[in-house]
Amino acid sequence: MAKHQDGSGPLTWIAVIFTTCILLFLFQKILWLVVPFMLAFVLYYLISPFTHKLIMAGLSPELAAIGLSGIFLLLAGAWLLVLYPLAIAHAGLWQDDLQRYLLGGTAALEAAVTTLKFKFAFLRNMDMGGDYRQNLLDLSSHFSEKYLGQMITTIAAWLPSLLLAPIITFFLLRDGVRLRKFIISAVPNAYFEKTLYLMRAIDRTARMYFLGLLSLVAIDGSMLCGGLWALGIPAALTLGLLAALLGVIPYLGPLLGCAIALMVTATDLPGNPAMLYWVIGLFALVRVMDDFVFLPYVMGRSMHIHPLLTLLMFFIGEAIAGVSGLILVIPVLGIMMVIGETVEAILSDDRLRVRHTHARRLERVIATGDLTLD
Amino acid sequence: MLRRFLKARSEPANFAALRRIDLFHALNRRELRTLDSLLHHRSYCQDEIIFDEGEDGQAVYFILSGHVLISRQSRPVDGAIAELGPDQSFGEMAMLDDAPRMAQARARDDCRLAVLFRDDFLGLLQSHALIASKLSLALAHMLARRLRDTISRDVV
Repeated sequence: MAKHQDGSGPLTWIAVIFTTCILLFLFQKILWLVVPFMLAFVLYYLISPFTHKLIMAGLSPELAAIGLSGIFLLLAGAWLLVLYPLAIAHAGLWQDDLQRYLLGGTAALEAAVTTLKFKFAFLRNMDMGGDYRQNLLDLSSHFSEKYLGQMITTIAAWLPSLLLAPIITFFLLRDGVRLRKFIISAVPNAYFEKTLYLMRAIDRTARMYFLGLLSLVAIDGSMLCGGLWALGIPAALTLGLLAALLGVIPYLGPLLGCAIALMVTATDLPGNPAMLYWVIGLFALVRVMDDFVFLPYVMGRSMHIHPLLTLLMFFIGEAIAGVSGLILVIPVLGIMMVIGETVEAILSDDRLRVRHTHARRLERVIATGDLTLD
Repeated sequence: MLRRFLKARSEPANFAALRRIDLFHALNRRELRTLDSLLHHRSYCQDEIIFDEGEDGQAVYFILSGHVLISRQSRPVDGAIAELGPDQSFGEMAMLDDAPRMAQARARDDCRLAVLFRDDFLGLLQSHALIASKLSLALAHMLARRLRDTISRDVV
């Protein structure tokens, strides 16, 4: 079996990138189905070690799948039941808080602009977008009437789709092996072993990516929570976890997380601009650690993608499918790479193709052995 | 008697064939069911190549019916090493290492094979250690027997 040590040729790479773009375009059209499947795969890879433990303890794979998926579904249902009345009861309070933090953030931004204009003469005559304060005030004061209803409608529309995730996870846990055998049974004998290897490689790549992503959220969350708490920022735990979760969205996510933390800092600790720089420093440190230490260590082993190509693919993904493209582009590219390399290995292996032709000819001889034309 | 009758009735048809395979002798019904969920069943027609010498091995094959010819350097006539029949297995070295296949396997007549992928066997080591250890022991016995046969043949 080819171990992909030589890498792929340029044609394969072009095909892989082209297919990734097409898939992203298609995925964007059926995002309601792609998102629950992606969540289901994350859940599946997260839960499957526990399934193994239950199976080792003597449970059948079916019972283990039913038990774990059921527990997850119950937890998700209980969480929704608690969250919904809480959201309704606190909606007004949350809107006031949002307005307060937006004003605090705006004030900090204005102070920073004033300081810059005071220190650098060439900035004094420059228009720095003076109406941003008014825009932010408008946004916060009309938030509930303009956006809250829309947000609730969007969440309600996504809910049935998101509830698909645990159901898909259950079937993946219960029938994953059977599904793999079913797919493999359609593969001709000559390509059988290589296809087995391919499916295992795809599974390994997806597992390492999704679990790597979860590990990164956990690492970032711990670092940010710890850092914000050490700096004395209020609600450090909530802010750290929120920023770590937003970090799943490449490039935009960390910026958004940092902006939220800055708004909270500027509002709750007014008159302390040094603290804003500390918060920016903390987020920059986490970003650097992510890019140079954790990301290569946690995900590098699964995704052997050149950093320049990764950057390029992020831009392409964003252009094709927006934020969903940013999130999906790397796992899709990783899986396409494995498929591309294996298909290239199969197509360039003359012996395998000849063996397949030979087998088909033998089958034809058997099928037509007793048929003669007079 | 009724229990034996019910047991025989509830057992899938291919279990009888699997039970006859040397490597699976020590497995009980439940363990065999677990193993069967991982096995791939393939059919090969007469003279079809199963794998080539030098190819990287990823799976071990068990003969359920038919015969398989093992030969060196793709020469089925003068390079033949062995002819294997039902209940025997081949390609076991793939379970142990990533090394290339040492010989070619070709269907002597129409045959049906059960295939265990190496990664599935490695997965068994984690999820069903007892089954994996029984298989490993049976595999070690079989390789020791083959080594002893080879040595005694060389001495003669």
